[in-house]
Amino acid sequence: MEQEILAGLKKTVLDYEIEKAESVAKDAISKGLDPIKCAEALTEAIRQIGEGFEKGDLFLADLVGASEVVKKALPPIHEEITRRGQKTASLGKVVIGTVFGDIHSIGKDMVATLLFANGFEVIDLGVNVRSDSFIDAAKKSEANILAMSALLTTTVMEQKNVIEGLRKEGIRPKLKVIVGGAPINQEFADRIGADGYGSTALEGVAIAKGLLGAG
Amino acid sequence: MRRGFRRRTPPVKILSDCEVEAIHRATLDLLEEVGCRFESKRALDLLKENGCIVNYEEFRARIPAYLVEEAVRRTPSSFLVRARDPKNNMMFGGNTLYFMSSAGARICDPETGIARTATLEENNQAVLISDALENLDCFPSYTPYFEIEEVEPVMLCPTSLASRIRYSSKVSRGAQVTDSYIWEIQLAQAVGQQLLGNMEAAPPLSYSEDAINAGFGYAEAGFPIYIAAGAVMGGTAPVTLAGSTITNNAELLAAVVFLQLVRPGIGIIANDFVEPIDMRTGSPAFGSLGCSLHHMAFNQIWNGFYRIPTNNTGPAFPNSKRIDFQGGYEKTHIAMASALSGANMIVLHGGVSSELSYHPLQAVMDDDIAAIVGRTIEGFEVNEETMAMEIIKEVEPMRGTYLNKAHTRTLWKKEYYVPKAADRLTYQEWLKTGRKNSIDYARERMEEVLATHKPTPITSEQDKEIDRILEEAKKYYRNRGLL
Repeated sequence: MEQEILAGLKKTVLDYEIEKAESVAKDAISKGLDPIKCAEALTEAIRQIGEGFEKGDLFLADLVGASEVVKKALPPIHEEITRRGQKTASLGKVVIGTVFGDIHSIGKDMVATLLFANGFEVIDLGVNVRSDSFIDAAKKSEANILAMSALLTTTVMEQKNVIEGLRKEGIRPKLKVIVGGAPINQEFADRIGADGYGSTALEGVAIAKGLLGAG
Repeated sequence: MRRGFRRRTPPVKILSDCEVEAIHRATLDLLEEVGCRFESKRALDLLKENGCIVNYEEFRARIPAYLVEEAVRRTPSSFLVRARDPKNNMMFGGNTLYFMSSAGARICDPETGIARTATLEENNQAVLISDALENLDCFPSYTPYFEIEEVEPVMLCPTSLASRIRYSSKVSRGAQVTDSYIWEIQLAQAVGQQLLGNMEAAPPLSYSEDAINAGFGYAEAGFPIYIAAGAVMGGTAPVTLAGSTITNNAELLAAVVFLQLVRPGIGIIANDFVEPIDMRTGSPAFGSLGCSLHHMAFNQIWNGFYRIPTNNTGPAFPNSKRIDFQGGYEKTHIAMASALSGANMIVLHGGVSSELSYHPLQAVMDDDIAAIVGRTIEGFEVNEETMAMEIIKEVEPMRGTYLNKAHTRTLWKKEYYVPKAADRLTYQEWLKTGRKNSIDYARERMEEVLATHKPTPITSEQDKEIDRILEEAKKYYRNRGLL
């Protein structure tokens, strides 16, 4: 029975059944399933979707659709994990956002979704994020990675401002910084003192994994 | 006054009248029920005073249908923009088709497609070349390059306009980012020209404070406004053409309502630049079919139904990284669809890879595309002279020729278009003359322009005033900690 329920959870993701997501998750918990195994089933499903995307068989809309299902299904599972005093396994904690003055979100959303699909815990601050908001979020969450997106040539320097802010707060050595966005390149990332630059969302995830020794 | 191309062919309609009505109704419904976000208390106050339902906490204005339709009625179907040289004045709207230069972040290597940051000298040269191109009528903002080596990002827009004023007398559009309008208005006034102002939405359904301040600024300076909302279908707009037509309509009509309240009767040209999302990369799918179909519906609605002048930006940006076949067809299919469906302006010249790069060689070749597309909508004349029945009846069957007729000699140049940067040789000539392709011809034309072309000059007082305004701009941005 356990295997059936876990397979059902996985299928909910693979079939993009967002309406059923929460109820299927709650049902699994109510039947006494180990919530860690439930979370792993969801992660396994999203990883499968991610692999399909990397191969070119699935597309962005599929990836985002599947992650929406997982976002709905996870809260009751995490609640149960906390209740049982267990801990979730993740590759690391990433704070991500688009910098101040910039409201482009699609690239950042792709990276956030792929990081999540690859087992990271992602705190998405959204768009137009002020420097101090990035720094506060990184401090409070004890993030392993701070990821910043900028799509305007007028806003790329914000990435530098945030890195300087991390230094002033004394937390720069405690985390890795990765940057991305159409006007960014490796030379710029090096110049502002970032630890990594991804020219595509997939590359960004590989770099995040590499920086934490998880690749 | 710049002539542009004069449409004689009725615009192609991609939608039925009922479909246009359905889309318009849905747009009104959306603006009334959901409204639009305006991140400016000044704008919200103005909208509220004039009948909108405003929620200040959400920065949201719900706009009643009667206000939208009244604002559309107030917007003229054509308007004048004065250049600093009257020969380059432009009358937008009606049956005229103009072409606007494109832009790119960087300059691309014509052989490899690799992009790098342009120097100020390369920027100035590209402006000079654009000034010489016959079918390039005006410039957008931050063009040709929106990164220049010696220029800090926050100074890019005013510096870019200064370059366009010095190296060309054609009309320019101002920018809306980071209060650039303050300096661009002064630069334009220093040389006695108008600008196309600028106000661009941040889809879905919102306008930032920058955009609104620019709208106020340019409108109060007496300039007409170029409005735009560059959504991405499947990202910031519905994935369907019908759905994204509605959201784009709503975003632009919200600006029309706002601007007509700021300055009743203001001239507006509405830009369409909605691209499908590339479902692999998340980038806009430049050069795609979805873009051209969207333009066609947009032109039919905005030209035919709202009677507001239209601009289409799709042809500006191919997805191809190089100056090549793909880039050529991507630009041309969209430009032709735009022109045939009634666009009043098409952004075309010089853009190479997405919005990443530009090259003046591309601009020279695009000038031929502009001529071919423009001449297509002009059609051809059918009259006694062109029907040529007298000559046809004279020419002997089988042995006769038209080549020796005065009719041929005097009329062929008017009937045909001979591209300036294309291989038109026979095969043998091509072999003997170095196997040149269109890029080679474009390069020859470009070098000729650089060696010989002189734009209408500005006076030395105007030149000094431009420098003074740029220095003021630098002080302003330094005080704001942006420089």
